[in-house]
Amino acid sequence: MERAPISPAPPVPRAPLIKNLEFKIGLLLALTVLLIAAFFAYALYARGAFQVSNKLILTAEDVEGVSIGMPISYSGFPIGKVSRLHLLDDGQIQIELAIPREDARWLRESSVFTLEKALVGGAKIKAHTTNLQDPPLADGAVRPLYTGDSTKDIPVLIAKVKNILANVETMTAAGAPINQTLDHVEVMTGRMAGENGLIGGLMGSPEDARKVVKALDRADTLLASLNGVSLKVDGVLSKVDRRLFDQHGVMDQAQLAIVNVNAILGDARESLKKADAILANAQTASKDLTQITGNVAEATTDMGRLRLDIDDSLRKVNHLINEINKKWPFARDVEIKTP
Amino acid sequence: MTNFLTRRGAALLAMLRVWRATLSLTGEVVVAALSPAVYNSATRTVVMKQIYFTAVQILVPFTLFAAILSFVLIQIVVGTAAKYGLSEYALEMVVRLLVLEVLPLVTALFVALRSGSAINTEVALMRINNELEALEDSGVDTLRLEFMPRVIGGMLSVLSLTAITSVLALVLAYLAVYGLQPWSLPDFTRVMGQVFGGGILAGLGAKALVFGLAVTVIPVAEGLATPKMMFMAPISVLRGMVRLFFVLMFIEVASLAFKYI
Repeated sequence: MERAPISPAPPVPRAPLIKNLEFKIGLLLALTVLLIAAFFAYALYARGAFQVSNKLILTAEDVEGVSIGMPISYSGFPIGKVSRLHLLDDGQIQIELAIPREDARWLRESSVFTLEKALVGGAKIKAHTTNLQDPPLADGAVRPLYTGDSTKDIPVLIAKVKNILANVETMTAAGAPINQTLDHVEVMTGRMAGENGLIGGLMGSPEDARKVVKALDRADTLLASLNGVSLKVDGVLSKVDRRLFDQHGVMDQAQLAIVNVNAILGDARESLKKADAILANAQTASKDLTQITGNVAEATTDMGRLRLDIDDSLRKVNHLINEINKKWPFARDVEIKTP
Repeated sequence: MTNFLTRRGAALLAMLRVWRATLSLTGEVVVAALSPAVYNSATRTVVMKQIYFTAVQILVPFTLFAAILSFVLIQIVVGTAAKYGLSEYALEMVVRLLVLEVLPLVTALFVALRSGSAINTEVALMRINNELEALEDSGVDTLRLEFMPRVIGGMLSVLSLTAITSVLALVLAYLAVYGLQPWSLPDFTRVMGQVFGGGILAGLGAKALVFGLAVTVIPVAEGLATPKMMFMAPISVLRGMVRLFFVLMFIEVASLAFKYI
C-alpha cells in the first residue's frame, strides 16, 4: 500500500490501433445472436412447437426399441412422431404419437399400425392405410400396435437350418445312399440309351436282355399261331352249328326219328294187344284141356306167328335206336330185348 | 520417506490452492459480470479488444478450418452409414457428433491455444513485474478492469465461434446428405427436431459458456499464482495449459455422460 502507482491509466491508448473495432465486434455479436436466436426458433419449429397436431394413442405389450421422438411412417414417409410413452397398471403400454394436422389425412379409421424390428437399426412404427376413402381417424383415437419381431424366430430358424444342413451333408457325402442310387440310375439310363433300350436297363446284362427279346419274339409267333387256331376253331364251330341246326341237320333228323319211334311204339303197342288177346285165348284154352290139346297145333302156329311179329317190331325199334345213336352222339348202350 | 510425503503433501496442497483460487476467481468474475455497475466504457473497450483478438481476427481461417474438418467427418459418417445400410441415421449422427461435441470442443481448444496462453503469459508477466500490485495501489480494480472483461470476451468469443461453425456444419451436413436442393428440408427438420430437444439445446449453450469461462479463467488464475520469478513465467503457462486441457476434457466427458448415460 505504500508504493506509488506505476501506471494509473488502464491500457486504453492501444485502442486506436484497431480500425472499426466497435463495428466489427457489433457485427460479430449481432451475427452470433441472430444465429442462436434463429437456430433456437428453428429447433422449436422442428420440435413441433408451432404445429397443431392430432393425438394418436397406440397400445402394445412390448415397446422395446421405441423411443420418444421416433417417427411413424406411412409408405416410408414420416408423418408424425412418438411424443410420450407410458406403462399402464395392467401392463399395457400406451404410445402417444403427435400427428401434424396436414399429415393426419393419411390415417383413416381402417388404418393398421405395426412395430417392426429389424436385425440392424432401430424399430420402426408403420401405418398402413388400404382405403383412403374411409372416414379420417379421430383426434385421440386408440388403436392396437401389432408387433412383428423378425429377430425372435432366428434361434429356432438357425436350429432348423442346422438340421437341414446336416442332412444335406449326409446326403452329399461320398458313398451316401442317395449318391449310390444316383450312380445306379446313371448306369441304368446309360444302358437304356444303349442297344437294348429299356429292357437292357431293366435286365442288367445284355445276354439277359437278348433272351427277353427272344422270348418276346416267340410269344409273338405263338400268338400268331394261336390266332390261326382260333380261326380254325371258329370254322369248326360254324360247321357244327350248320350240321346241328340246318334244315337237314342232326336236330331235324332226330326230330324225324322221334316221330318214327312214336309210330314204331304204336306198332309195338298193337303187337302187345295182340299178344294179350292170344294170352286170353290161351287161358280159355287151358280151361278145356281137350280143346287145348285139340287146338295146340293151331295155337303153336299162332304163337310162332306172334313171335315173329314181336321180333320184327323189336328189330325195328333196335334199328331205330341204332339210327338215333349214329346221329346223336350220346354213347348209350340201349337195347331192347325180348324176355 | 517423511521427506517424500511432505513434499508430495506440499505439492498437493499447492495444487488445491490453485484450484481453490481458480474457483474463487470464477465466482468473483461471474458475480462481477452480473452486476451492471461494472460496465463502463473502459470495461467495454477491454471486452471488445478481447473479442477482437480472440474471435474476429481468427474468424475466417478458423471457420475455413472448421468447414474442412466438418466436411471430412460428414463424408466419413455418411459414407460409412450408407455402407452399412444405416443412411437414415447418418444425418442424426453427423449432427450429434459435430454440433454437439466436436465443434464446441475444437473451438474451445483453439481459443485456449491462441488466447488462453496469451492471457496466461500476460497475467504471469504482470504479476512478476508487480504491475498488478501497482494497478491495485493506484486504485484500479484489476478484477473488474483486467480479468472480468477478458473472461466475458473469451466466453462471447467461444459462443460466437461455436455458433458460426455449427450452423455452417449443419448446412454442410444437409448438402452432403441431400445434395443441393431444398425439397428435403422437412426431412432435415424432422431429424433436427429429434436431436435438438430443450435439454440438449440448453446443454449446448451452457457447455459453450463453460468452455469460454474455463478458457479464460484458468489462465488468469494460473498467471496470478505465478511465483514472482522471471523463469517461472513459461512454467506458469505450461501448467495453465495442461490444467486447461484437462478441464476442457472433463467438461466434455461430463456433458457426454450427462447426455448419454
